[in-house]
Amino acid sequence: MLAPLAGSLGEILQPQYLLPLGVGTLAGLVGGALPGVTITMTIIIVLPFTFGLDPLAGLAAMVGVYVGGESGGLVTASLLGIPGTPSAVATTFDGFPMARRGEPGRAVWLGTWASFLGGILGAVFLVAATVPLARFALQFGPWEYFSLFVFALSMVAGLTEQSLLKGFLSGAIGLVVTVIGADPIMAVPRFTFGSEFLRGGFQFLPVLIGIFAFAQIMSDLERIGEGRRPAEVGTPSLAVSHAAVVWDILRRPFLLLWSTAIGLLIGVLPAIGGSAANVMAYDQAKKFSRHPEKFGTGIPEGIIASEASNNANVAGSLVTIMAFGIPGDAVTAVMLGAMIIHGIQPGPLFMTQQPRIAYGIFAAYLLAHPVMMVLQWLLSRVYLRIVQVPRAVLVPNILVLCVIGAYALNNVMENVYALLLFGVLGYLLVKFGFPLAPLILGVILGDQIEVNLVRSLMTDGDPWLFVTRPISGAMLGLSVLSVVLALWQHRRQYRAAGPAGRAAEPDF
Amino acid sequence: MIGRDGLAGLACLALSLALFAASRGLPQPALVPIGPAFYPRILFAVTALLSAALVAADLRRRERPGLPPFRHRLVLLTFAVFGGYVLLLPVLGYRVATFLFVAALQVGLEPAATRRWWQVAAVAFLTTMVSYLVFERYLAVLLPRGRLTGF
Repeated sequence: MLAPLAGSLGEILQPQYLLPLGVGTLAGLVGGALPGVTITMTIIIVLPFTFGLDPLAGLAAMVGVYVGGESGGLVTASLLGIPGTPSAVATTFDGFPMARRGEPGRAVWLGTWASFLGGILGAVFLVAATVPLARFALQFGPWEYFSLFVFALSMVAGLTEQSLLKGFLSGAIGLVVTVIGADPIMAVPRFTFGSEFLRGGFQFLPVLIGIFAFAQIMSDLERIGEGRRPAEVGTPSLAVSHAAVVWDILRRPFLLLWSTAIGLLIGVLPAIGGSAANVMAYDQAKKFSRHPEKFGTGIPEGIIASEASNNANVAGSLVTIMAFGIPGDAVTAVMLGAMIIHGIQPGPLFMTQQPRIAYGIFAAYLLAHPVMMVLQWLLSRVYLRIVQVPRAVLVPNILVLCVIGAYALNNVMENVYALLLFGVLGYLLVKFGFPLAPLILGVILGDQIEVNLVRSLMTDGDPWLFVTRPISGAMLGLSVLSVVLALWQHRRQYRAAGPAGRAAEPDF
Repeated sequence: MIGRDGLAGLACLALSLALFAASRGLPQPALVPIGPAFYPRILFAVTALLSAALVAADLRRRERPGLPPFRHRLVLLTFAVFGGYVLLLPVLGYRVATFLFVAALQVGLEPAATRRWWQVAAVAFLTTMVSYLVFERYLAVLLPRGRLTGF
């Protein structure tokens, strides 16, 4: 395991891979720092640039965006009190008070070093766990795959903060999108209404780009329309003793390890991203602390917990996509799309059939962290200026890149029309309070759910096999459990906060 | 009065029932027990049930969230300009359509008081040319050609 990893580290250090990794990390840092531009949006913007690259170079750039994005959010969270990404929300709680107290450098660098250490610990798990999990997944037949996908979907729908029913309906709408086009068993055209383009079904990436990009841009434009403007940014000195900052983290080993473990676990669970990981790790840090009342006043523990967990979350998400072929969150969903474009199918056979790409991803993830540190050190004050680019300039540029990303898939305008169609749909769904994550997972898993359902029933017509086969039965049991837990949690929240109590912020 | 969730539920219910009805036209193969309509019908039935449950839940609620407030001038404008861009792309080609789109959207989004025309033109030109050169020349991505312009 270590020999191929060492070989891949050497390969990624070559300029043709290191440059995309560095550019991707920088793009992630800037995108992550920009309030209103999430990591998903940044990776969508970077996506078309990867089409012309070697697959490994393209994936290295995407891994760079992912790692950089998780760390970029902490700069605006600490210095402006506005999380650049949802995965830096909890960093704001203590990062901003610390910066306001006159320690902006300590706030930013505590977060950066915690991101680095959490990420590196996550890499150990990524390298160690992917192969055994992929081997475990090799035992799966169509029953197990069907149940696994149902489990993933039910969990994502159940974990949405808004209405549980809307979470499930959103997932079902995603599945409906995938039945348009030729059926996967006999290639009979379904619901195409005579359209040649629809015979092939909707491609996954224009759907994803349309839904996420438009939902986010339009929500941002609404806020500007309401008169809310981005905050003015100064460029404070970030000078700090790095030895003292690192010691601040290392003298709290339990906090670092526990936050990393939470990030990894959340990452491994399908389609729950860093936005949940950082808040959960912060909450756990507070519960385990001897002085919970100090949380929120600018103490290092809050920053360390949030940032270590969100970078470790990336490793967890990568494990899920590489071992099972299920995206851990929206960012890995785009990566999955990019892999498929390059003819790479992640899943249990990925490690054995594509070892160069698989170990290349490990190496890119490992190297993205030192690259992130160097860029943060060189440029954090510079890109704090970039976050002030006017929306009037930023929005058209993002939309042009979305169009290129959709068009360049097959060089057909129909993908651009699909982008617009799903852009409108995504915006409407957000306006009506539907979560987007279950919809996206439905679009990604729809074909596979159908294929495995039909294949299992054609192999043996007994539907009880889904329950009686141990792994499949366990997955379905977990699905039911996750729904019951979600119901219980929603009821408790409803009683505590009342019908209007829950915020209905869109999840990106 | 029906609320926001009720309206969304009704729309999803109508769509799933319409698609369920459309699935009746799909052929049933003679040799294979499971045809192309098997899975979609299960799916549409589940979608219809969830939609009906959403409508029912909305009707049962005492405090229903109404339709989202309408303050979306910039949103409508962006969708309109983007729709125009998508329509013009195959007619004018990437370079002309992108220049017009970036310029038009900047004009729409930038308040008149702070708008500078030279800046609008410069950003539109730079966006178009840099993206064209990077994608067409460097990354070998073929961008749309215009029926009218020929490039």
